[in-house]
Amino acid sequence: MSVINQRFDAIVIGAGPAGSTAAYQLAKMGYKTLLLERGRTPGSKNMFGGRVYLQPLKDIYDDFEKKAPIHRWVKKERISFIDNENSTTIEYESTKTTSFTTYLTQLSGWMANQAVNQGAILLTEIRVDKLYRENNVFKGVVVEDEVVNADVVIDAEGINRLLLEEANLVEKLKPNQVALGVKEVIKLDSNLINQLFGLDNNDGLSWVFIGNLTNGIPGGAFLYTNRDSISLGIVLMLEEAIRKLDKHIYKLVEEFRIHPLINKYLKEGRIMEYSTHLIPEDINSLKPRKLYYDGLLIVGDAAGLLLNQGYTYRGVDFAAYSGYLAAKAYDYAHNNGGPTSDNLSKYEELLRNSFIYRMLNKFSGVTELMKKERLFNTYPALINELASRLMHIDYDSYKIMEAFKEVKKGRISWLTLIKDLWEVSRKI
Amino acid sequence: MSTKVEEKKIQRIEDILNNDVWDVDYEPHIKVDYNKCRECKWKPCIRLCPAECYTLVGDEVLFSYEGCLECGTCRVVCPENAVEWSYPKSGRGIHYRFS
Repeated sequence: MSVINQRFDAIVIGAGPAGSTAAYQLAKMGYKTLLLERGRTPGSKNMFGGRVYLQPLKDIYDDFEKKAPIHRWVKKERISFIDNENSTTIEYESTKTTSFTTYLTQLSGWMANQAVNQGAILLTEIRVDKLYRENNVFKGVVVEDEVVNADVVIDAEGINRLLLEEANLVEKLKPNQVALGVKEVIKLDSNLINQLFGLDNNDGLSWVFIGNLTNGIPGGAFLYTNRDSISLGIVLMLEEAIRKLDKHIYKLVEEFRIHPLINKYLKEGRIMEYSTHLIPEDINSLKPRKLYYDGLLIVGDAAGLLLNQGYTYRGVDFAAYSGYLAAKAYDYAHNNGGPTSDNLSKYEELLRNSFIYRMLNKFSGVTELMKKERLFNTYPALINELASRLMHIDYDSYKIMEAFKEVKKGRISWLTLIKDLWEVSRKI
Repeated sequence: MSTKVEEKKIQRIEDILNNDVWDVDYEPHIKVDYNKCRECKWKPCIRLCPAECYTLVGDEVLFSYEGCLECGTCRVVCPENAVEWSYPKSGRGIHYRFS
């Protein structure tokens, strides 16, 4: 491993969206950058729901829209309240778009490639065993008992922070800090997808489900259209899942797939892949005390930088942008005497002035709100029963308020209802 | 290999996992202390490991690392700290292609 004997300006651990983007930006600014990935290819250990928000990536990569592996532009959004037999849906459709679907495995690979094109060295099948430090200054990484030196280390190891734990910078994850996402990718002909969901060529659908698909556990379900496949999966808050899940978690995904209101879309489909990942939830407790140390910056999931907005997650754009800012912070430190903790605190400043901290602060109450079980059990059932009373007509039919009073009875008081409405409208 | 999903019934987890690709390491990257599992009342790993790497044989937990998807859930949910968890070595383990 001759590369390993060289000295680098920066070593980036992990070629996911955060790490690859950091490496891309560092190499672009002329820094000698080593990007290390434990998988066989960049992206091979990555998994997400299915949708990426565009704007932050456009700021980072030139011609992103033309060159990146984009499957479909999301122009149709659905939010459904669902139970065993009914669903009530809000649909939004537009000729404009701000997000796209893709496989993160592909997008990370593409980003790592951009880093390589800028001159970064990418080594795959390299598992970093330890952060290397001398006198409390991070000076590189340890790979199979060999030390690789660098001026700065950028930790993009992801949500399972083995390296940061070993360095005593974070504690072991706790169930109340994360959610668990499990998904199936189902092969489906691209024209059939367009027909089934009423989409034009490269237009995509993002579909979120709230209701009893999660076994009464706080969380949700999602369906995204890719170019010629469907991603469908569920997300469960892990702490609540430990207490309440009464069957194997994969069964929830399968029950979702065979749900009569979903399965009709998937009749011709074949499962291509089954994947899973932990999702940062409680950002306040997940975020390391500091994201900058002497010779070290922390980005992406490892830094807890992911936004749960209630009806959507923003992970990839947050991760990539944090990597981008970390590279900028290193540039600043390099030009001001070196990557000391003081100089690298520039990263914190850049985050504070960016949409990342702005949004994390704005939506800080969402995870707590999402843990309210009424939101997943009572309200979806109430909405569906109300719709059912109004729509199913034999002889007598209902007036709206009459139907509402009937379905509300025994379920929820006016006071709770108004309090919940107030909370939802304040926090989301 | 892919599993046809026409049938409106729940597939077996083995059949679903059959669609994934691994390069399995010779040595397990996760070690489980079964003595601690015997003390464990809840055994949340059984239901929550998405790859069903943890199964019950009688009252005993049995762990196999081969189908691990490296999500880290078992490590987080284990109430007894029985899971010694790391990533597989260089290039081994799950290889996602469409996720």
